[in-house]
Amino acid sequence: MKVLVIEDEQGLAESITEYMVKDGYICETVTTFREAEEKIHLYTYDCIIVDLTLPDGNGFQLIEMLKRLMATTGVIIISARNTLEDKLKGLDIGSDDYLTKPFHLSELNARVKSLMRRRQFGGYTEIRFQELVVVPQTRNVFANGQLTMLSRKEYDLLLYFLSNVDVALTKASIAEHLWGDNIDSADSFDMVYSHIKNLRRKLLDKGAADYIQSIYGIGYKFSQP
Amino acid sequence: MKLLAKTNRIYLAFSLVIYLLTALAFYQIIRLLIYDEVESRLRVERRDFETYVRIHNTWSSSPYFVENKIEVVPVSKRQSVSESFTDTLILNRYDNELTPFRQLTFYEPIHGVMHRVSIRKSLIQTYRLIEVITATMVVFLGLLLLGMFWFQRRLSGQLWYPFYDTLSRIKQFDLSHNSPLDLSPTNITEFNELNDVLQKMAAKMQQDYRSLKEFTENASHEIQTPLALINAKVEQLIQTESLSETQTHWIETIYQASRRISRLTQGLLLLAKIENRQFSDSQQIDLANLLTQKLADMDDVLSFRHLSIQIGPTAPFDVHLPTALADSLVTNLVNNAIKHNQPEGRIELTSTAAQLCLRNTGGPLVTDPERLFERFKKESASSDSVGLGLAIVRQICDSYGLQIAYQAAGGIHEFCITRA
Repeated sequence: MKVLVIEDEQGLAESITEYMVKDGYICETVTTFREAEEKIHLYTYDCIIVDLTLPDGNGFQLIEMLKRLMATTGVIIISARNTLEDKLKGLDIGSDDYLTKPFHLSELNARVKSLMRRRQFGGYTEIRFQELVVVPQTRNVFANGQLTMLSRKEYDLLLYFLSNVDVALTKASIAEHLWGDNIDSADSFDMVYSHIKNLRRKLLDKGAADYIQSIYGIGYKFSQP
Repeated sequence: MKLLAKTNRIYLAFSLVIYLLTALAFYQIIRLLIYDEVESRLRVERRDFETYVRIHNTWSSSPYFVENKIEVVPVSKRQSVSESFTDTLILNRYDNELTPFRQLTFYEPIHGVMHRVSIRKSLIQTYRLIEVITATMVVFLGLLLLGMFWFQRRLSGQLWYPFYDTLSRIKQFDLSHNSPLDLSPTNITEFNELNDVLQKMAAKMQQDYRSLKEFTENASHEIQTPLALINAKVEQLIQTESLSETQTHWIETIYQASRRISRLTQGLLLLAKIENRQFSDSQQIDLANLLTQKLADMDDVLSFRHLSIQIGPTAPFDVHLPTALADSLVTNLVNNAIKHNQPEGRIELTSTAAQLCLRNTGGPLVTDPERLFERFKKESASSDSVGLGLAIVRQICDSYGLQIAYQAAGGIHEFCITRA
């Protein structure tokens, strides 16, 4: 899958690219409006990740241009601007998602994956990981073929893990994924812990392996034991 | 009262007084002139009478004087005054009406006998004259007054038109739009000066508004981008397998600090934006309903902290707020009520059409309640908190005609929002 990252902050662009490449994407990076314009005219991408504030232009214009050329390309905006107007305008001209800086790379990755699932298979796709099967359409989770009843948050948590396999996830990124930006109480990490405990127990009950490892001081990692 | 109505009213009152005084003075002057005229004629007749008496040494009702015109009465002794003018009314023998006369009384010896002689002149013509003059004056002065009044109204309406025009344009002027305040030039210097000053002020305000708006946008971008960079690099760094415990601890600290800076700048920039009134899409929002929803959204945290919610009785508490700010307001209130609660505590929401109260249980306040809404006033030492939540709540309330008050009694902390 081809992804174009349009971000003028070199370091951030690098990080995003590395993160995506590790996950199996073909990733290209540009840092200016002009380069981006050239790329979207020459090639087709499955998804573009675009910053709104570019040194020589506005991300909105790029999106409008892209939508005229290739309407099926997914668009995720990453911007430091967090006003409602910008978010609405972004969605209005055809972008699929809006992430406010600073964001978690794992969150961006999860959004890209969810977008790709929606775009490519109309959502009719299963996510498989060893003996686990998740059907996003119905929000059902099967472990060893048995339906596993998960709460809403546990399901979201599992999907977040499955989007970021083999990646160390911080507790903060998990908390923000589950409850959004507004959760600012110190309780959130404990709540993450209790949801993870429940999810792990439910999966183990159905005979699945223990994929969730905790990393001291940082968070959790979902990977083969 | 409107300026023109006020000036017209003053003008009218003043003119009326002047008009009445003029009329009175005029009447008096005419009356004086006429009396002077009548009296001098009476004096002439007195001389005629005296000459007649001196020549003839007798007096008979001479045909010279018609009825009521003269009265000669013998008196035993003369009065001290030699002559006196008086007004008198005498019955007219033809139409049986009292007619006003001016009378000159003097004493004259006839045949050695002192007589009191009264010569009279009818004032009926004079009175008619005064009446006619007065009536004419009333009519003309009245017309003049009305005319002036009408003219004055028209004139001041026209003179003040640029002023009212300017006023209505200022009322319609919107800072957040790019169009400058456009005031049409007039031929009155003062109004031109006023317009000039207003235009300069409006331009300055617009410029300030724009530069602060740009600043908040740029600052947001310039600060959040490096923070995003730090976050991304930290996330990449923690993927390294061989981190020691100390290193992880350092990384975690860096990560949390960057998140705090991010929240802090977001909070401060939000405050600046509210102060600069950058939110324009005000809508009618039922805060009671929004708070109820927000409390329902927070069920995870609430059940985790074993907090119970008590809602009611509630009535819609409608306010005019931009959606984003209404959301920020309730989020900060709810977060505050959760953060400073105690285990097994309670959160209560009640509202009427005039006030909305959110109460929470919790330990006594450490800081001064007066300073609770100030920036960076942290009640708990929790590093996660940046201490801007209540400052934002206060700023939103202040900027949109609401008032927030804090009260504590018996372990219950109460925040009430009313309309200011």
